[in-house]
Amino acid sequence: MPAASLGRFVLRVAAWLPPAFAVWYLAGPLFAWPIAMLTTLVAKIGFSDLVHAVEQQGHLLTIVSTLKPTLATTQNTASAVLSVEVNTLLYSFGFPMLAALTLAARQPRMLRTLFVGYAVLAPFVTWGLLAEFLKRLVFDAGPAVAAQTGFTALQREMIAFAYQFGSLIMPTVAPAVFWVLTHRRFLEGFAGREAGAATVQ
Amino acid sequence: MVRFFLGFLVLQAVLFGLELTPWAQTWFVVPWTDTLAAISAGLVRWFDPQVLAQGNVLQSANGFAVSIEAGCNGVEATIVLVAAILAFPASWQRKLVGLAAGIVAVQALNIVRVISLFYLGQWNFDAFEFAHRYVWQALIMLDVLIVWLLWVRTLPRTAPALPAVA
Repeated sequence: MPAASLGRFVLRVAAWLPPAFAVWYLAGPLFAWPIAMLTTLVAKIGFSDLVHAVEQQGHLLTIVSTLKPTLATTQNTASAVLSVEVNTLLYSFGFPMLAALTLAARQPRMLRTLFVGYAVLAPFVTWGLLAEFLKRLVFDAGPAVAAQTGFTALQREMIAFAYQFGSLIMPTVAPAVFWVLTHRRFLEGFAGREAGAATVQ
Repeated sequence: MVRFFLGFLVLQAVLFGLELTPWAQTWFVVPWTDTLAAISAGLVRWFDPQVLAQGNVLQSANGFAVSIEAGCNGVEATIVLVAAILAFPASWQRKLVGLAAGIVAVQALNIVRVISLFYLGQWNFDAFEFAHRYVWQALIMLDVLIVWLLWVRTLPRTAPALPAVA
């Protein structure tokens, strides 16, 4: 991309953002389905002692834990288990951002890039969802629930960091990094250089 | 390329970890956020004299208020930009210039975010929620990306524009 065309590129990104956000929001349940599958898989493998099931309702996932609620004062609550509802949109708004950047760049095989991008970013969304689930068990659901998780102080700190990183950094940085990696020639053109002309050792 | 991205990711994780420490929260994040609220209120008062800033809260005369919290104070976006500039192969002089200009650019847009959300919330809370949770998060990161690309473009042509895979 010629250096002078950065402005036009930014305008194209701005033009693609509204439809990209609209598609992402309206098709939220569709985009959330593979993420729900992946979250179920990771939860069953990594947290089988904490997660009983993952259920999808639109763009929301309900993660049913194996833990008892805080106050088991009646027969009902004693037999109940704790569920945590998490919103896939909160961790996947990088999809429309990636779509707008990719479509604005007008490079070959855009559709393939978008599909690969979705596949690459989905695990980061799952990270955010599970980190929020764990954070809510450990920090928000009360000491009785936190005690049932059996996490050590260090593990609780790691959960807090994973949640903060997964909610504040990864949803936007992961798509940006993926886009830079898949548009290197485009970016070198923007900087006015021959693609691959220089190498950093 | 590998070295740049590894450096970027490590720096980002370290800076973000530092940001979460009580010391950084007390001495950097809280004053930063309060200053952001004060600057936003100062700008808004040019056309809306009743607006007040109290700590990290921006409050309207009609009772509506927004609290600037983590993720909305531009600290994380700044961390990403700092990591991207520091990890990139360039002279320290260029990096410092990029950091100074870049941080100003990111924070300037962040003030636009705060003020726009302040008025969007008074108009329609659903629109506020959508813009706050999703749209502005993406816009701020796009700003970081564009600022970084502009900075890369200013680097001397004897240096690599984007580090190739070594």
